[in-house]
Amino acid sequence: MALTPLTFQILLALADEPRHGYGIIKEIEGRDGPGTAPSTGALYLALQRMGAAGLVEDAPSPEDETDQRRRYYRLSPQGRSVAHEESARLEGLVAAARAKSLLGGGTA
Amino acid sequence: MAALMALAPRGFRHQHEAEVLWVHDRRAAEPRGPVGRAWFAVREVMGMVRLVTAAHRAEAAGRRGNGMTTTGGGAHMLDTLVQDTRFGIRTLTRSPGFAITAVLALALGIAANTAIFSAANAFLFRPLPFQDADRLVMLYETNPEFNWTHADAAPANALDWREQVEAFEDLALYSEFRGQGTWIRDGEPELVRYVTVSGNFFQVLGAEMALGPGMTWANTWEDDARAVVISHGFWQSHFGGDPGVIGQRMEISSQSLEIVGVAAEGFSFPNAETQIWSPYGWAPGAWEEVWFRRAHFVRAVARLAPGATLESADAGLQVVVSRLQEEYPATNSVMGAGMMPLRSFLTMDVQRPLYVLLAAVGLLLLLACANVANLLLVRANDRAREVSLRYALGAGRARVARQMVTEGLVLAGAGGALGLALGWVGIKALAAQQPVGIVGATSLALDVRVVAFTLITAGVAGVLSAAAPAWRVTHSDVHAGLKDGGRSGSRGRTSVRASNGLVALEVALSVLIVVGAGLMVRSVWLIRDVDPGFQPDGVVAVQFGVPSARYAERDDVWAFNQEFIGAMEARPGIEAVGIVQQLPLAGTSWSSSVIAEDWEPERVGFEILHRRADAGYFDALGIPLVQGRMFADSDGADDPLVVLVNETFAEEHFPGEDPIGKRIAYERRAEDAEYWYEIIGIVGDQHQASPSVAPRAEVFELANQDWGRTNWMVIRGSGDPDAIAPMARAVLRELDPLIPISQVRPLRQVWRASMQRDEFLLTLLGAFGLSALLLAALGVYGVTAQAATRRSHEIGIRMALGAERGQVLGMIVRQGMGVVGIGLVAGLGAALVATRGLESLLFQIEPTDPLTLGGVGALLGGVAVLACLIPARKAARIDPAETLRRE
Repeated sequence: MALTPLTFQILLALADEPRHGYGIIKEIEGRDGPGTAPSTGALYLALQRMGAAGLVEDAPSPEDETDQRRRYYRLSPQGRSVAHEESARLEGLVAAARAKSLLGGGTA
Repeated sequence: MAALMALAPRGFRHQHEAEVLWVHDRRAAEPRGPVGRAWFAVREVMGMVRLVTAAHRAEAAGRRGNGMTTTGGGAHMLDTLVQDTRFGIRTLTRSPGFAITAVLALALGIAANTAIFSAANAFLFRPLPFQDADRLVMLYETNPEFNWTHADAAPANALDWREQVEAFEDLALYSEFRGQGTWIRDGEPELVRYVTVSGNFFQVLGAEMALGPGMTWANTWEDDARAVVISHGFWQSHFGGDPGVIGQRMEISSQSLEIVGVAAEGFSFPNAETQIWSPYGWAPGAWEEVWFRRAHFVRAVARLAPGATLESADAGLQVVVSRLQEEYPATNSVMGAGMMPLRSFLTMDVQRPLYVLLAAVGLLLLLACANVANLLLVRANDRAREVSLRYALGAGRARVARQMVTEGLVLAGAGGALGLALGWVGIKALAAQQPVGIVGATSLALDVRVVAFTLITAGVAGVLSAAAPAWRVTHSDVHAGLKDGGRSGSRGRTSVRASNGLVALEVALSVLIVVGAGLMVRSVWLIRDVDPGFQPDGVVAVQFGVPSARYAERDDVWAFNQEFIGAMEARPGIEAVGIVQQLPLAGTSWSSSVIAEDWEPERVGFEILHRRADAGYFDALGIPLVQGRMFADSDGADDPLVVLVNETFAEEHFPGEDPIGKRIAYERRAEDAEYWYEIIGIVGDQHQASPSVAPRAEVFELANQDWGRTNWMVIRGSGDPDAIAPMARAVLRELDPLIPISQVRPLRQVWRASMQRDEFLLTLLGAFGLSALLLAALGVYGVTAQAATRRSHEIGIRMALGAERGQVLGMIVRQGMGVVGIGLVAGLGAALVATRGLESLLFQIEPTDPLTLGGVGALLGGVAVLACLIPARKAARIDPAETLRRE
């Protein structure tokens, strides 16, 4: 299963802890810079699809959460393993790039 | 965004609406540059549209029971849509002339809508820079005797409301008056613009400080009033954004003030140019004094307490109002009060013009749609063969209709993109002339609302344009289409009727718009013709204030003014110099109740305007002395008090009498009067508020008897008016280098500015009127040309049988004009009703002004005749032999 970049970004954002939609956006922007996050509609479209595919699931809200509007999402076991596989695949690609001296620190 | 979300299926909304909107709102609140904001808005709208359509697809799939939530059932529909769109684009690019005309027509309509909606958005929908702004209410005083409906409050009354109305969490005061102070910085004078406010102004509004603790309620009062908040812009420009500015002191107009806060960026309420908010600094005892309940100069904003409603708060207010009426009969016996949501109050004056403009652009868009519908109808006919073929090959009617609508949407999509760009650029350009938005609080922005509005408008326009042709295509006779082979000139009767109906509609719509524009044009012309009561040409006014630190007494101030006047008069090319407290047509005025010595006790003249002036003022502005004598040098500061009155005052308050020699006082009862003024002359009326408002009764006190520190000097010169202000500045610098000129206003510019709103409306409605005329002409031309082509065969035969060219010409024009006539009658009939909405914006003409209605009818009729003549002449040139040969 090929993952879209957005799907992988969301998996990555949820890898360490459950987050709400705005938290996912902030996590992506924090990593890739402002303006890189998807539009709000695109984010929720992706979350819907990932939910249907069994990659993410609803998480209980933290105890100190007072705002009903914030729903939290987390990785399902399947989502975690997909994220793992995709990371491994990307790592392989990066290793190949490094071997061809496209990146610094190559072993070739 | 919420509007888009409302289009989603109910189940989806139930689960996700609050969440999605919350995330969107959080992101929308993040700081962005103007380009970033526009880009964000476009992406958010597109994303939301995708989300909502996907939700619908998922729901439909769920209903069909295949359980797929992502693609699946929706895939087929999506493929069809993509296919239809591609096909639509392909067919349209095959006839670029048609496509360009249609896109331009739609872009014109959509641009007008985007522009006006952007303006409406800035006034009515953009968030105010206040926290929970919907809990803020504006209070005002009402007084039937004075004809006050939304007057400034007297501070003592407002302070009582603050203490006694329980439904208010708190209440703050501010003055709309724009103050100017002289800030002495390193020995150099600089003018600063301030507004006076109560200490809790920022807290009540919920406007946060960018820096510093800000003011508190205690700062309102004299002992604690040496604190100011500066604007973010002023902080940047004058302190280089230094965070150590808090606690620094400013010497303003001989007072040492401490900076206690920097307001948030972009906050300058209630004026656009506010640099400093300074507390009133009232003496605590002022509350008990009569003037504090008599002078009306504060705006009162309250925040409703939790649980309170507008109704409950108003009920509480009315109790206090009645109490004050009983307690202070001298000032409050007929003084009422009311309240309304703050935003409604701040947009009260613009709502009517905005609705008129929105109606005009709505009509214009309809007109553009009718135009495109007609073009599509003609094409639908040309494509009868293609469509018949598709039917024969098994395409359903719905599929064919959908293809039509998709074409309409493709056109509207292109028109929408172009319209958004044009509309936005247009409104930006207009806003440079006339600021758009609530002053000091909101401004134009290409936000999600504007983009979504344009998108929806384009969608509606696309569907509207395609509706008639789609209906026509799906109801055409399959066999006839195939047999006929789509030969040019064979149009079904229904199609012709639909075409004619659309043209009549176009004519009617454009009549409506052009009548509206015509009424505004006439109105503004009439306003321009109004004699303001003075001669503005060559007169420049400069404002200056004489500080109390170095000119303590009345005589010091007057001596300085005299010196300044004398020095100006001595300059070459200066013809007349005078002093006045306020300029005419500048929108600021003081008013009082007036009694005359020999009036019966109950008689009072309410709301009499008054200002101080000297003889030079009337000379410089060419205001005639109608009767009596002018102020003279012999009227000294300590001599008996004298006044001039205007003609309206004499007519209203001394009808059939000679007012010269009568004595008046600014009181309501003779026993309260301390000062009596003798009327020595009558001068010509000057319009005080605007040329479209009749002059009101006015009294002029003599500037050295009723003195004040801030005045306008009016200077008439024979040379270049632009040289006058620098000359005054130079003279002032010689006399006292620490007194700056605070404002320079050529009187001609004052006069123009007083008509600005009317001219702004005129420009917009005029542009819409011209667009409407153009679109209607295009429609009439298109249909007549079609008719002529359709009948070319018949015309050829007629001419072969001996018909004259003139007869043919007449026949075509007559036929075209029949349709136009129906449209004209319908449009004029509708205009008679609809233009009533314009009534309050018009000057001296009725909305049913026969000249305007007749003129518009003639104009449109003339344009329509021209539009018919072009195809008719072409038809009359048909060579009969050619026609017959083709047969």
